[in-house]
Formats: sequence, C-alpha cells, structure tokens
Amino acid sequence: MTRLALERVSFWYPATDGPTLRDVSLEVAAGEVVALVGSGGAGASTLLLVAGDLAPRVVGGKLEGRVHFEGRGKGKERRGIVLPTPWTQVSGMAFTVWDEVAFGPANLGWPRDEIARHVDRALERLGSAELRARDPATLSGGELQRVIIAGILAMDPALLLLDEPAAELDPAGARDVWRLVRALANEGRAVLVATSDLDALPELADRVVWLERGRVMDAGPPSLLASEALCAAQLGTRVAGVWRAAGLSTPYPATVADAVRRWKEVMGR
Amino acid sequence: MEGSDGTLTTALRLDGVSFAYGALPALSGVSFALAAGERVALLGRNGAGKSTVARLVTGLLRPAAGTVSLGGWDTRDRTPDALARSGRVGSVFQHADEQLFARTLEDDVSFGPRAAGLPERDVRRRVAAALAALELEPLAREHPYDLPPALRKLAALAGALALEPALLVLDEPTAALDRALSARVTRALLERAAGGVALLVITHDLTFAAEALERGLVLDRGRLACDEPLAALLGSAARLEPLGLALPPVAALSAALDLPGRPVRAADAARALARVAGGRPAP
Amino acid sequence: MTRRHPFTLLTIAGALPALAWTLPAPVGGAVTAATALTLAASRGLHRGLWPAVLTAAPFWLFLFILHDVPTTVAIGLRITTMVASFVWVAAALEPARLVEAMVAAGWSASVAYVFAATLSAVPLLKARARRIVDAQRCRGLAASGGVTARLRALRALALPLILSALHEVDERSLALETRGLVPGVRRTPLAPPHDSAAERVLRWGLVALCVAALTWRVA
Repeated sequence: MTRLALERVSFWYPATDGPTLRDVSLEVAAGEVVALVGSGGAGASTLLLVAGDLAPRVVGGKLEGRVHFEGRGKGKERRGIVLPTPWTQVSGMAFTVWDEVAFGPANLGWPRDEIARHVDRALERLGSAELRARDPATLSGGELQRVIIAGILAMDPALLLLDEPAAELDPAGARDVWRLVRALANEGRAVLVATSDLDALPELADRVVWLERGRVMDAGPPSLLASEALCAAQLGTRVAGVWRAAGLSTPYPATVADAVRRWKEVMGR
Repeated sequence: MEGSDGTLTTALRLDGVSFAYGALPALSGVSFALAAGERVALLGRNGAGKSTVARLVTGLLRPAAGTVSLGGWDTRDRTPDALARSGRVGSVFQHADEQLFARTLEDDVSFGPRAAGLPERDVRRRVAAALAALELEPLAREHPYDLPPALRKLAALAGALALEPALLVLDEPTAALDRALSARVTRALLERAAGGVALLVITHDLTFAAEALERGLVLDRGRLACDEPLAALLGSAARLEPLGLALPPVAALSAALDLPGRPVRAADAARALARVAGGRPAP
Repeated sequence: MTRRHPFTLLTIAGALPALAWTLPAPVGGAVTAATALTLAASRGLHRGLWPAVLTAAPFWLFLFILHDVPTTVAIGLRITTMVASFVWVAAALEPARLVEAMVAAGWSASVAYVFAATLSAVPLLKARARRIVDAQRCRGLAASGGVTARLRALRALALPLILSALHEVDERSLALETRGLVPGVRRTPLAPPHDSAAERVLRWGLVALCVAALTWRVA
C-alpha cells in the first residue's frame, strides 16, 4: 500500500536563516488526491521537493522531522514529480516527443517493450498521441506541459507530486488534466498537488491542506475552500467568494452545484 | 496619441494579416482594431496563433500579407525598438523574467524609459509610477534574482508600464501568479486603461479576463473566430466549448441561479445575488 | 554522413586536427583543411562553411601580423582544420544519438548525458539569446548606434543570458533527477545507432594512421 507521511518536517534551504517549511505533518495514501493551497511563497513547491526526496538530497539544505514513503515495489523511481517549469524539465536529448516521454523509463533500465507500452499509454492518456513524431523544441507551452506529465506518468510512479501541472494549459486542457489526475488516484496512485486553480479542487481533491509561510494552517475536505478563513485569505473558490461578498449567510457554497442547493434554501424561506 | 488625422484614437489596427512559419501557416486574414482605452482579451486554444499576433503587433514579426499599424505607423517600416521607444507599444512575453539584468528592480524598470532617451526626471517619475501601480515600491532596491519568479514577472510588467505606451501587449500576465498578485495586475491594468491605454492581453485565465477586460477576440487555427463583448462570450458555455474554453465559475454561477443580467464579474454577481436575495420577503 | 555512427564522426573530427599537426606543412595541413572545410560545407553554407571560415579568419590575421608567410600558412591551415572539424562535428552529431551510442557501448547514462549536453547547450543558449534579444528590443533597446550604445546593448543582452543560465543550472540538475537520470542504473538503449564492420575498420584505420604519422614525424 502506497503511503507518504511527513512528520513534523521543517526545512531550510542552503544559506538561509529562516525555515521554508515549519513543523509540517501530512499524509497521502493510495487512491487519494491531496491538494496544497496557499499564497505565493507559502512553501508548497518546497514541500513537494521534500516529498519527492529531492530536498535536501539534491538541492541541499537541512531537514528536521521525518519523511516516510512506502511505494509498490522499491526504489525512488516510484515517486514522480512534475515541476512547475516544463521547459527546464524537458531532457533536451530527444528528437521526437515519443523519445522525450521514453527518456525517463529508459533511464530506469526497463526492457524495451515495457517502455514502449508505458510511453504509448501515457501519451494517449494526455491526449498527446498525435504529437509523438514532433520535435519537442517546436511544442507550445501547453503541449510541452502535457508531454512532460506524460514523461513522468510513463515511469509509472505510485506517488505523483504535481506542482501547478495545469498552469500552461488552456481551460479545456486544464480540465482534461484534472480529470486524468482524479482517474490516476482512482486506480490506486497517491497524488499530492500544489495548485492555484482553486475552483478545480472541489471535484478533484479528497483533502485540502492550507499552507501559509511554511506552516499548515488548516486541513480538511474541499468544503474548506468555502470557509470564512480561506475566503478571507483569497484562497476560497470563486463561488464562495461571490456568496460571501453578497453578504449571504454561512455556510458558503464551494461549487455551483452547492450554490444551487443553498439558493433554494435561501429563496424558499 | 499625437497626430491630427482621424486615426488618433486607434491604438492598433490589423488589416487582412497573414503569417506563416516557413510552410506552416499561423494566421490568415486577421483584421481588427483597438481604440484607446479598450481592454481586449485574445483567446483561443494552445497553438491557435495568439503569440504570433503579439509578435506581429510588437514588430518582431512582419506580416506576410496585410498590414499592422500602431498609431499610424506601419510595422513594416519600423523596428521593434523604435516602436517601443515611440511610446506606441509596450509588451511582456512569457518567460519575461529572463530579460531582467540590472542590480536593482528600480534600475531594471528604468531600462525602457532610459532607452527612449527621456530626461532623468521623467524616467524617475515613470519608474515610481510603474512600481507603485504594481505595489512593488518596497522591493525597488532588491536584486531581481533575489525575488521569487512571480514577483520577477511583475517586475517585467512594471518595465513595460514605465514605457507608458499607448498599447500594452501582454502574454499570460497572470499565469503562475496567486490570486492576490493577479488582483494587483488587474488593478494596475484597469488604472492604465482608464488613462487611455489600450490593452491586448493573451490569456487562458478567463476569470482574470472577466475582471479586467471587456472585449474578446477568439482565434481558432489562425483565423479570427469571434469578436464580441466578453460578457456575452463568457456567459455562453455552448459558444466557449468548441473554442477550447470553459465557462468561468462566476459566469457558471450566474447562469445556474439565473441572475439578472448574467454578470461575469465577481463584484457584479455579488451585487445581483444580494439584490435578488434581499428582494425576498423576510421569513 | 550524419547517419554514420557517432563514434565514427568523433574519430574523424579528432583525426583531422591530429593529422594536420603531425603531417608535414603545408601539404598535410592543406589536405586536412580542405577535407574539414568540405565536411563543414556539407552541413550547409550557413550552418557549416560560414561559421568555420569566420571563426578561422581572425587567426589568419593574427598569424600574418606576427609571422612570415610560410609559418602563417602552415599554422593557419592547421587551425582552420581544427575549427572546421569542430564546427562540422557540432552540426553533424546529434546529442541523442551520441547518448544512445555511449550507453550501448557501456558508459553510464549520466556521463553520456553530460558529454552530450555540452553539444546540445549551443542551440539551447541560442534560443534563449533570441528570446532575450526580442524582449530587450521590445523594451526599446536599439541594435545600432555608436560604440558606447553598442557596448550598453551588449551588456543588456549578455548579462540576462548569463544570469538566467546560471539560475537554470540548479533547476536542470533537479529536473534530470526527476526524469530518472540517477547513477547506478543501466539505461536501456532505445535505438542504438547502427555500427557496421566497415565503420569500425575506418575508425581503427584513422587511429592507426594518426599513430603512424606521429611515429614517422618523431622518428
């Protein structure tokens, strides 16, 4: 059973005084999508690096507390992380999109037919199969972002760490990626995602964790995004924000469907 | 804009513009014009030709057919830097943080006005105004690379504001910004537009578009598929879907609750909601 | 030629300068320089021949100022061989194929990657430089003017290029980790370049030729 657990984790980047993460505890299990929300600089990206065993191992710095991960099978290749900057995550070593997606699996030393199977499946799931013969250098930002997600997915990670995976996508593309993320969790992967696309979360996340200046402020079901505290911090959903600005009573609805239900109550009185 | 002909309120005009990258057609027969103070969203799928329009408008590309004119200047006869220095256009492209290089934010923002040859006093006034518009004054003396990427992006935008151009061309100005920073950008742009600056903004962020912009141009495979008020476009799921767009949440709320006027801006929707709810008899 | 095995390309690019410096001047240098320039030209006028000629030209000028004509010709031809060979191999050798070849030959993927990344850095930097030039021109940077204006322009282009490249180095090493590039794992070659017996003979032949030339000159 895949499970990621952070126990009282604090993290300092090299040559900084203050910690970027303070006393963070958090758990993600197989089948779950946990979303990190917070304003810029809250530490969500750093938390993903810590969860992905990249901080402090690769970026340096100092960690206190415990990061525990058990995946299906062994080895760190079972954690896949999508960075917020697809243009730096591209290998630069591939002449076709297919080879780019295969870069990761090939590095893992898998047999060639297994690589091919995973690459084809990943490209298909990202709706990028028709890009397979394209030169990665000629892709648009949105196309490249999907290719990178496919490249990570092709490595078949049990835990997916996603940092703003839809930032470069058009709204339809973003919706497709969120649906895919949900489907990946439903088939038994664990997902930890940092996103500012708060309105997508009620349909996507099982739990929401609110980070502010490296600290967990609150955690709970997606309805947290309609709470007074998150709305006041500009981290509520738009629907909740409108409801609140209208001066209507709590609880605020998080989604349009919630709003329709609440509206019937308000108008029925 | 200076000039005494009838075009003085037209910041930008594209007339039958076509462009191709080698054999790959990118735009065909695109025509539209922007008046001073107009706030225009340029929408469409990835690869629809939006960035090509931005590069044509700033003079980085020249049209294969048709004309692009900025305040009466044909881009075919000018270089991008001359267009920028003349105050006709300021632009911020994606990955704009790559362009920063000065020792302080303030210095970097003054790059444009200095290149335009303005007297030092004007440079300082413009830089101060640009930093203030984006609430960056406290960071004026910071080194750009000491700032997080989101603030570097704002710094690049301040650099374009400091040129005080008649037209601002922005490519995804709110991508990777949190809501508070997005709101800052919205405020700054609304303020400039109120002063007569025309805005042409490429964006996927329809919520931002609804708040900051008023007219929507949609490109579909290199052709102008639609040119109409944003409020009408953003309110119609049936129209948005085939263009790769989705109903933004406030518009979806207005539609689901059948709010009068189908508002797409959050403040308008809140007002409509309060009015309708307030009109009910008390329990 | 680009379809040849990457090791063959590297061997040719190494052997030509080696022969240029060992064979007697000016005939040896003339033959190797002509060969290298022909190879460079085969990559196209703009990608191959011109960069080679333009890079070699200043060396000829300096040599001419410092030396007599025979020395200038002798050393100039050797330098031209070096420059043209490098330009040719940089244009002809595809980094991805080199990685595949090195991995197939038993090198670790990380080492192969570092090697190939040096070759692929040039086009990536070029693309970034292009974006920065565009961005600065849109901020009003004039590409012409007097000497001070040009120097200032150069600074506005070079500094951001260096700063952003340095900034990206950290991100790149992180990014490669995320793509499974870790030491200790044998990478699967996806499409190892075809290596024929004839090519192997050619490579060893070239090496033997270089050794023979060296022995002959030293003896």
